[in-house]
Amino acid sequence: MRTKKLSVLILILAVAAMITVYEGLVVAEDDIVGGGEIIYTKPVKSVLFSHKSHAAMGMDCNVCHDKIFQMEALSAQNKADFNMKGLYDKKYCGSCHAKDGMAFASDTQCARCHIGTKGFNKAPKEAKK
Amino acid sequence: MILNKIKTEGLKKEDPGIIPAMERRAFLKMGLLITGVFAGGSILSATSIVEKAFASSREFADKYPYKPHYSMVIHQDRCIDCELCMTACVKANNVPTYGYRTRILERDDPKASERKREFIPVLCNQCNNPPCVLGCPTKATYKNPANGIVMMESKKCIGCKTCMAACPYNARYFNEETMAVEKCDFCFNSRLSKGEKLTACAEACPAKARIFGDLSDPASEVYQSVHNLEKTVWVLRPEAGAKPNVFYMKG
Repeated sequence: MRTKKLSVLILILAVAAMITVYEGLVVAEDDIVGGGEIIYTKPVKSVLFSHKSHAAMGMDCNVCHDKIFQMEALSAQNKADFNMKGLYDKKYCGSCHAKDGMAFASDTQCARCHIGTKGFNKAPKEAKK
Repeated sequence: MILNKIKTEGLKKEDPGIIPAMERRAFLKMGLLITGVFAGGSILSATSIVEKAFASSREFADKYPYKPHYSMVIHQDRCIDCELCMTACVKANNVPTYGYRTRILERDDPKASERKREFIPVLCNQCNNPPCVLGCPTKATYKNPANGIVMMESKKCIGCKTCMAACPYNARYFNEETMAVEKCDFCFNSRLSKGEKLTACAEACPAKARIFGDLSDPASEVYQSVHNLEKTVWVLRPEAGAKPNVFYMKG
């Protein structure tokens, strides 16, 4: 009788533990979508690109990868034309972030992407590469 | 207020009651013009700016009191806090790590519709009615009579820090090496007096957020910005009555 009670208890605990682990995994997956949060530090410090907020709008990976952006994080910032002029010429973010594009134009709302030096200092470690 | 009780050391306190009729009329004419500038904002800010932000009423009849009348217009929405201005300032003026002559303030509004953050560059406002100069007991800090820049003569400074307490813009710091208070002088000592046309911060800004120039020259960008009827222009803490020469606008 006692062993039966104990095994039922163990079963309940095990199920609860499994649910917790499963939920944990789901939460973790939600946090890191694609390449996670990326902070560019060149040519100015700093610009935040959020995979999460872009994916949340229902965008598929192949909208940007890898015609506009290579898969390797931060590879764009080593290019000479990765600057506001390049964006105005519809390169990189400017492919969509343009006056007649599908997102707000690159020459508006500067501080929406530019999180600055303060933003960089406050960002979590894993976002700084 | 303590400030009002400090003896003014030769600097006269302004009293609108003593302005002669002709000058008063010219001032009012100018006042109406400037009110137009601010009509796009609020009428309340318009009247307060006329009385407090510009050159003192007597001097402000028809022209700015200095030649050149150095001024800075800050396009607040253009600042991205890259802090290249701060780096350039430190390099040009030998600013110690514990002080600053310019810095970037940050304001977050999580409920804003789109952009939720803005950055506000601040520096000495080179006031026309500077509380720091009024407060200094040794005349170590003074208005440059030619260009209106608020200067420091460090050998006269006794380190009493009255100016630091008096400044409405928190734009001064005490240098522990020289034992004197230091501040932004629009790069007068480091650059302007050597023939440079711009301050280090204005030159370093990649977003053209800081426009530096001569407010008495109608052809200058600062004059054109401040006198543009289509834009709202404001100053920080107008209630301090210091009549700053650093103006803020968006767009």
